[in-house]
Amino acid sequence: MRRLIVICLVMVMMLTSTVSRSPVAHAKPLNIPVVYYKLPNGLKVVISEDHMAPVVTVAVYYNVGFRLELKGRTGFAHLFEHMMFQGSANVKKFEHAKFVEANGGSLNGHTDFDYTNYFETLPSNRVELGLWLESDRMRSLDISEENLKNQQAVVSEEVRVNVLNQPYQFFEWISLWENAFTNWNNSHNGYGELSEINAATIDDVRNFFKTYYSPNNAVLTIVGDVDVNEVKKMVEKHFASIASQPLPARADLTEPPQTKEKRVSQTDKLANLPALATGYHLPPQNSADFPAMALLVQILQGDDSSRWYQRLVKEKELTLDLTGGLNYFGNEFDYTGPMIMTTRTTYKPGHTADDVIREMDAVIADIVAKGVTEKELADAKVRYRSNFYSQVEGSFGKTHLLSALALFRDDPQQINSLLTPFENVTAAQVKAAAAKYLVATNRTVIDRVPEAKAQPKSGQ
Amino acid sequence: MKNLLITFILALVVTPAIAQQKTPPPPGAARPLNLPKITEKKLANGLTVVLAPLPNVPKVTTVLTFRSATTASDRQAHPGIAQIAAAVANEGTDTRTSKQIKEELRSMGGTLNLGSDADSTTMNATSLSEFSARLFDLMSDVAQHPSFPETEVKLAQENTIQQIRAGRADPGFLVNERFQKAVFGDHPYSFVVPDEKSISALTRPDLRAFVTRYYLPNASHLIVVGDIDVDRTFAEIEKAFGGWKSGTVPPDDNPPVPKREKRQIYFVDRPGSVQSAIYIGNVSIPRKDKDYFAIRTADTIYGGSFYSRLTRNIRESKGYTYSPFSNSNTRAKTGSVMTGAFVRNEVTGPTLLEIFYELDRMRVLPVTDEELSAAKEFSTGNFSVELASQQGLAGRINTVYTYDLDKNFINDFRPKIEALTAADIQKAAAKYFDTYRAAIVIVGDWEKVKDQVVPFGDVTIYDAEGNVITK
Repeated sequence: MRRLIVICLVMVMMLTSTVSRSPVAHAKPLNIPVVYYKLPNGLKVVISEDHMAPVVTVAVYYNVGFRLELKGRTGFAHLFEHMMFQGSANVKKFEHAKFVEANGGSLNGHTDFDYTNYFETLPSNRVELGLWLESDRMRSLDISEENLKNQQAVVSEEVRVNVLNQPYQFFEWISLWENAFTNWNNSHNGYGELSEINAATIDDVRNFFKTYYSPNNAVLTIVGDVDVNEVKKMVEKHFASIASQPLPARADLTEPPQTKEKRVSQTDKLANLPALATGYHLPPQNSADFPAMALLVQILQGDDSSRWYQRLVKEKELTLDLTGGLNYFGNEFDYTGPMIMTTRTTYKPGHTADDVIREMDAVIADIVAKGVTEKELADAKVRYRSNFYSQVEGSFGKTHLLSALALFRDDPQQINSLLTPFENVTAAQVKAAAAKYLVATNRTVIDRVPEAKAQPKSGQ
Repeated sequence: MKNLLITFILALVVTPAIAQQKTPPPPGAARPLNLPKITEKKLANGLTVVLAPLPNVPKVTTVLTFRSATTASDRQAHPGIAQIAAAVANEGTDTRTSKQIKEELRSMGGTLNLGSDADSTTMNATSLSEFSARLFDLMSDVAQHPSFPETEVKLAQENTIQQIRAGRADPGFLVNERFQKAVFGDHPYSFVVPDEKSISALTRPDLRAFVTRYYLPNASHLIVVGDIDVDRTFAEIEKAFGGWKSGTVPPDDNPPVPKREKRQIYFVDRPGSVQSAIYIGNVSIPRKDKDYFAIRTADTIYGGSFYSRLTRNIRESKGYTYSPFSNSNTRAKTGSVMTGAFVRNEVTGPTLLEIFYELDRMRVLPVTDEELSAAKEFSTGNFSVELASQQGLAGRINTVYTYDLDKNFINDFRPKIEALTAADIQKAAAKYFDTYRAAIVIVGDWEKVKDQVVPFGDVTIYDAEGNVITK
């Protein structure tokens, strides 16, 4: 059993903070082995050996998500994800699940803003099974009218259970995106309108498969207790003969700069308490401001010690909770295109959205005026590093980051230096980022209050 | 639309015929499963300490379980006290304010949360491994000296009441609450959330007395998994927890659970619902029962895996629902078996029909060899995956100590699963998938679905607050 060697170098830094003097540790960079290459058909391949446990994750990430759906077909990228479990030339409908589970594994798929992934975690001696299953559907998805009807019904129930039958109806995602963005690719409802999900045709499915599910639009990632050379041979055997396809020009995802604050009021038929969501446009991931902004998000709402949580929930006792972050579904690395920082909070009856916004703004004003403390920033970096380790602890978490880095940056080796830009952020940069991005003209606010109804009787 | 145009052109391109493998590749030689070495030690005050090095990342994952502090503890005088004590314990100690605790955790990259259930209160805490000594010190302080500051108690009372009100809008919350009450009756296992009066009545002295009485080292265990050195870590634990005073362990307040006598529908009316949230189930077995492995495996085949009979039927064949599921949940005194499905109003009745069909099929006919062998692989394979994560391993070890299981549980898991026969599965299903006495809980719009529901049994209707209503 090989051990991931991470030696932590503890440096005692003398901090100016009056709160305490704390040892701030700087970890030696992680050393995750990464083999990266491309097949002649364009398929990107990432292999990372990890011998902690006899387990392997096999994943394919396709470079298509909600944003590339066509008008009139909201929710289609996700509906298509379901179709990928409906059989291929040598695997009958839903038997993908049978093969994986009967071999001791688990599986899933997920549709996101900019990617759709498919993955199975298996005992590592079954790695070739995972490769065969993924290659069979990439090469020869079986698409039938009957299965499409079935999955339209299933996805409709998914939308009902997660959106339509829920209080708040996912407003901090769906409504916030619809209002914060102006480019349809970014703003439309990615879960989909039921009528549009059910309007999808068999030709839509065929075309989407042909257009986006080609090897030259995908990353294949294998992480676990395997031998790189053996896996390379298996990859060659199962994937090399899948034909590449011409890719369409990328859709224009650019977003015009926001110049005015957007405020939206909504009522909710099912909710009992009012809630508020805010979204601030973020700088692009490759901008100099991005790492400072990511740490600012941490300082504002990263945990129970954060500025907004302390102010809203503890000091002012205005709200019950505070959740949110920099990318609603993922992290700093697994998207491309415009993004907002979101915050969602359920506030107490007797208060108004303005009360909540006023306190959030007071926190921002304080950071803009005085900056954050050195101690606060140092702690945020420790928290950031700790979260990163949790993310790469298992084979799936590592697979996810490696795949995103290959898909969007063509460089999965970056996993070993990913923390560096964040470790280097200064308090002055955080202060400047707050002044530049956390302004009212850059945000959208949605206030969602319960529709007036008879007060319930209390009791059990 | 440029995209659309290209899409149409692409549709005309014909995929070249290529030889592709028609059958699944066989497995390679199995790789060794090297389970972490688990070391058990005891402090002089009776605290059991279990250490398991798993250095996959430089973090530690810990679970401190107070086995005496259950939702049954002190429930007559102070219903809900275990839950509120757990919620407020990390909001201040004799020497730390709430904010200091949160900031200290942040500086360690750490987390520390408590929760209580019918069998214990647990403190789950993590940090970067370089800060483990500080984490243990904080955990020990929270375990021994929570101060329950008046302001924090008051805030927690208010917020808990509001959170429960918010929860009553959520069909998932309502269906679970009514299900636990239906299956476990007046037993403490039926407890989900306290009522508002009980929450408001709690005082700081009540909470302090509860912790003094029920958070005891000699009725607790501490599991530490992660990037640790057993000797050094144990020394840190001894230093942090050595001064914790042992006490008299109070008697177990959890009575046996009565059996259900008949099939009954518990309908929570939620006007405006576009789906029926359905839970169906019954009382099953305690965690230590000999049938544990048989029920667990029956559940895997029936509804507990993705390729289960239930999913193939009501999702993949009929399209009634997105994510049907089932589980076998076992606790110290007893457990429950449960099926869940959230379905559009129009197919509420047909879904009940199919669930009962699949439950009865498990009771009446043996499972096939193929199903049994797949379920065994599924259980043992995923068990290995679970043990490869710090959370997963710590959780498994915690179960062994909370339920006083055989210390070889982890090593015996595979052979016990592999020994099961189709007859074992059928016998367990016949006994515990008891459709005749099942509780059927539905949260939905009564006016819209009542005609589909009444053929399945007698109905009691509730509102979202739990009051019985007449319609």
